[in-house]
Amino acid sequence: MAESSGTDPTVDSNVVENAAKDRTMIVVTVKTPKDKEEIAILEDSSVAQFKEEISKRFNAKLDQLVLIFAGKILKDGDTLNQHGIKDGLTVHLVIKTAPKATSGSTSQNSASSSGTPQANSSSSASSPVPNASTPPGTGPAIQPPNLLSGFGDLSSLSGMGMGSANFMELQQQMQRQLMSNPEMLSQIMDNPLVQNMMSNPDLMRQMIVTNPQMQQLMERNPEISHMLNNPELMRQTMELARNPAMMQEMMRNQDRALSNLESIPGGYNALRRMYTDIQEPMFSAAREQFGNNPFSALGGNLDSGVQPSRTENREPLPNPWGPPGTAPSESRGTGSSTTTSSNGGTAPSVSSLPNPLGINASGLGNGVFSSPGMQSLMQQISENPQLMQNMLSAPYMRSMMQSLAQNPDLASQMQNPEALSVMTNPRAMQALMQIQQGLQTLQTEAPGLMPSLAPGGIPGIPSTTGGSVAPEGPPPPTQGSNPSADVSPSQQQQQLMQQMLQMFAGGVTTTQAVTPEVRFQQQLDQLSAMGFLNREANLQALIATGGDINAAIERLLGSQPS
Amino acid sequence: MEKNETTIYSVQLYIYDLSRGMARNLSPIMLGKQLDGIWHTAIVVYGDEFFFGGVGISSCSPGGTMLGSPDTVVELGNTEVTEEIFMDYLSSLGESTYRGDKYRLFEHNCNTFTNEVAQFLTGRKIPSYITDLPSEVLSTPFGQILRPILDSIHIAPPGGNVINGRPS
Repeated sequence: MAESSGTDPTVDSNVVENAAKDRTMIVVTVKTPKDKEEIAILEDSSVAQFKEEISKRFNAKLDQLVLIFAGKILKDGDTLNQHGIKDGLTVHLVIKTAPKATSGSTSQNSASSSGTPQANSSSSASSPVPNASTPPGTGPAIQPPNLLSGFGDLSSLSGMGMGSANFMELQQQMQRQLMSNPEMLSQIMDNPLVQNMMSNPDLMRQMIVTNPQMQQLMERNPEISHMLNNPELMRQTMELARNPAMMQEMMRNQDRALSNLESIPGGYNALRRMYTDIQEPMFSAAREQFGNNPFSALGGNLDSGVQPSRTENREPLPNPWGPPGTAPSESRGTGSSTTTSSNGGTAPSVSSLPNPLGINASGLGNGVFSSPGMQSLMQQISENPQLMQNMLSAPYMRSMMQSLAQNPDLASQMQNPEALSVMTNPRAMQALMQIQQGLQTLQTEAPGLMPSLAPGGIPGIPSTTGGSVAPEGPPPPTQGSNPSADVSPSQQQQQLMQQMLQMFAGGVTTTQAVTPEVRFQQQLDQLSAMGFLNREANLQALIATGGDINAAIERLLGSQPS
Repeated sequence: MEKNETTIYSVQLYIYDLSRGMARNLSPIMLGKQLDGIWHTAIVVYGDEFFFGGVGISSCSPGGTMLGSPDTVVELGNTEVTEEIFMDYLSSLGESTYRGDKYRLFEHNCNTFTNEVAQFLTGRKIPSYITDLPSEVLSTPFGQILRPILDSIHIAPPGGNVINGRPS
């Protein structure tokens, strides 16, 4: 009697022949890279017979078939039994490509899952529906992809009225969405379809030109249209836009070049002129379009925003540690070519930068280091070490010095040249940003954890100086984007890290810049009630322990001669 | 007649911890359960390392990505599959289920690839603690919250060459 396994075998015509005989049929799964079939065969068949079946089912020649089981290649002379191939097991098949052009002949189309809408072969950009049935095997889109399917998952996520035939409207919506969620930008940039699209200069040019604000701008400043028409430049700009690390590099170079320019007599004026003539209208055009710009809260003087990036600090920047809203504005006057890239459906170049650095300006709460002004400041610092020096000499540093004085440990750290170099190291700042973000997330998720987490809870967080290109995403905990190997911070650096963490943590949990004395009023009272009468010492201890009474008591007791 | 002229190649699994130890320390706090690492794996055979990332299937010399040396090396066994057949196999995979855009951090990642290749070459799977990692993370509330962000992340350790899916 023919026995078959519990699952329904895909019965072959051969089976009929053998059904009459008393031999056992087994069902073996044959798996190719693209496909999978169940083949019923007699238990005691030879490999050659098995291959016959396979050749029929997969439509391939016998000598193209290579069968592999448990790491062994099945030779024609062997039997299935010999290799231990039994019912329900899987045998791997490779169909050699040598005689034919494509491997895996049958049912290629079924294999690729159409989870992400694939590129559309329509060349016009206005058909909105993401189309899933495209010819596979063409690899990443060579045809100009539909803008919407380029944004693939995102458009299905938003589920908006994407059926609108008006492309401009769609673009507007997309950009609005972008601005409200900077994370999306990095998502988009990562999408290979988008990257391919951006590598098509004509398409990019079209997109930019059809934008009405751009058209206005182009009328006013013919140089822009000239630039758009230069394919080489476009290509370069798009390369930049695609590769955030390269863009950062480019910006840095530009900054340096520009600061050189400034030292030429009359150079500063030229720069200023350049900014006001080109940059400003562009930015305001872009800003209008984007509606609520997260940096609009920065308000203030556009002029003073430009200066920190290129000149000595002619005017004191407003106090970034004050309430947000008086923080310095962030516009970076770096020339028109980079801002061109910003109109490829992204925000002004400023906000495409924060994303590679992991700075999420719109989603942060209050706190010392997390105001948007501070963020922009950090970013500028990370790109222009000179600025750090300038900052230190600016008048508002006094308030910082005060807080430093109250915490003498931190003061000595800050003066430590090594620590300073950590602060001016862009990648270190980047790492710090990520840590801070992680802490932020933590704070929202589990507020009770923060006090225990901050002091010494994270040993040896490295301040990497290794070259890590394109960080792998904002959230630090599950990614840990520190791939460089050598991690051995000095003792002092480690301490600095802990202090900074404390500061972050402290900055996150307190919402006002009040003096420690006021903050710790309650604890001070408690301490004095317990008998610690030295108010100064109490205060010091409380500051050092961040308000933790028990730790403060220990500190106080430890410092007393017993 | 069985193994007269067939060469045996040894197959190894290189395991890297993407978090460099941070997962071991932080996971109890962040996720509520102990995860010893965020594992990225690659198959090493024929003197080359193969792995799957956001750019597709890549290859490099063993330990040649930016991740450096592996944390653990597991011997998966031996295979008779020749390099030629293997490259054919990889090309097919690279055209279909392991194209770059098929990368999914949780469901279809480097470890999925390694598992499949390991079974192809040796018939054995990779250790289960590696393939169980995504579900471990997703079963925590924190993992669920982070999921939309993490889903968009493609891990592609630099230092490898992408294997072109088209037949050469």
